[in-house]
Amino acid sequence: MTFHMDSKNYMEYIKLVSKKITESKDYITEIDAATGDGDHWVNMNMGFTAIANSSAELENLKLSDMFKKIGKNFISVVGGSSGVLYGSAYLEAAKLTAGASHLTPETLCGVLEAMTNAIMQRGNAKPGDKTMIDSIYPAVQTFRLGLEEGTDLTMLLPAVKQSAIDGAESTKNMVAVKGRAYYQADRSISHIDPGAVTMSYQIGILMDYALEHLTPA
Amino acid sequence: MKKIINNSNDVVKEMLQGMEKASPQIRYIKEHDVIVRTKKADKVAILSGGGSGHEPAHGGYVGYGMLDAAVAGNVFASPGADAVVKGIEAVDAGKGVLLIIKNYSGDIMNFQMAKELAEMDGAQVEYVVVKDDVAVPDSTYSAGRRGIAGTVFVHKLAGAKAEAGGTLAEVKAVAQKAIDNVRSMGTSMASCVLPGVGKAGFTLGEDEIEIGMGIHNEPGLERTTMKRADELAKILLDRVLEDYDYSGSEVAVMVNGLGGTPLMELYILYNEVEKILSRQGITVYRSLVGNFMTSLEMPGCSLSLLKLDSEMKELLDAPCSTLGWTQFHV
Repeated sequence: MTFHMDSKNYMEYIKLVSKKITESKDYITEIDAATGDGDHWVNMNMGFTAIANSSAELENLKLSDMFKKIGKNFISVVGGSSGVLYGSAYLEAAKLTAGASHLTPETLCGVLEAMTNAIMQRGNAKPGDKTMIDSIYPAVQTFRLGLEEGTDLTMLLPAVKQSAIDGAESTKNMVAVKGRAYYQADRSISHIDPGAVTMSYQIGILMDYALEHLTPA
Repeated sequence: MKKIINNSNDVVKEMLQGMEKASPQIRYIKEHDVIVRTKKADKVAILSGGGSGHEPAHGGYVGYGMLDAAVAGNVFASPGADAVVKGIEAVDAGKGVLLIIKNYSGDIMNFQMAKELAEMDGAQVEYVVVKDDVAVPDSTYSAGRRGIAGTVFVHKLAGAKAEAGGTLAEVKAVAQKAIDNVRSMGTSMASCVLPGVGKAGFTLGEDEIEIGMGIHNEPGLERTTMKRADELAKILLDRVLEDYDYSGSEVAVMVNGLGGTPLMELYILYNEVEKILSRQGITVYRSLVGNFMTSLEMPGCSLSLLKLDSEMKELLDAPCSTLGWTQFHV
């Protein structure tokens, strides 16, 4: 089995994320208020809504141009930390997909790896810092390892999703050193990081989408 | 939620439109949420900015003697790097641009990215990072100390230096000197309500206050019971004086309201602060009491102390004319 994800598919995925984020207002705001300043949901929702609303334009672009537009949208519409981090991630994805018409399991994994590196570099952060990296990093590791070992995608994609969810969950036991959660480092223990949660939603939905669009190789 | 707004999504734009209409000195570039001076000045340009909700910071400090541009983000969120680049382009007169950044992860990332992008297009850009909040331990591996009300002193001194014809290196040096010599400490008595969220970020008991609270609902050092003004002055000032040696020096004091505390109370607090300072042999050269760096409708205040030398006194006394701070020659 394999999948081919083009710009139209990717924008369908973005719309699903936008819906999920919009529905999660109370939960995300609540966990953000516990450690941050309570605006993570507002900013993510604004960003994904804006990008989803421009899907008619974006879905007709080349993959690389679509990623570039999404990145620029994050930087300009979302602002804050999330905006520049997701923006940097999508601009990196754009570089990696120059000339490509669609994503395969191999290239999607490469895109997620490049995004992870861009986020770590821009944020000067690493796994264990209680950030979104703690969700995407283990998910990408699972993805890469599974591809190398030739794991069946019907097994691998749900495993990647689970790694993202477990990774987000693991931030509960971490002490924040970056972002506003740092200001109450000790009090941040036992609270899950909202940025890791919204990241796990995205990876989860991406893996579900890929799973539903598997075709014989 | 009781707020004088139309739609929570429009608060930043509509506020900036209002600021533009309230001052003949400033112009609003609405595509990028940037406030600039109506007339571009032929000097080193100074740009600041950050999340909205701290008014008059930072749009209210654009004008003669202070900033050339302020870039506004969403409420409590850094503006995007692209907006900062547009701000830099709008004010760059070819003599360089200094960015004054408050130390928050989002602001640092976006302003640094903007510096990189603007330099690619040939602009000469330097930046300084304000980290005056003594409630947070400073360190290099973490986000470190926050930038709060002391930032306004940095705007003022750097602005005066640039107005006097200072080079980019000189203006940056003055800004850094202000940063090195300013410390702040705040307290809050209740949460503020973000327009997009609609409810308080946390709750404090009827008789409870938070010492060392930040300007974004982020928590402080400890929760304690409500104090008398003289006790509160001592608590805040002790922290500041423990952190930096002000003994025998002349200082500028700022008693800053966070948005929901009456001026009456700020003056009562300042009265107590001045008493303690004079007992300790610290001379108040200038004082500012009012709302300079707010946190929406948060009740509470911060206290900032800037240690002065002769150059800084001269720059502090230079005239300026902005929505948030106007003075003639002192």
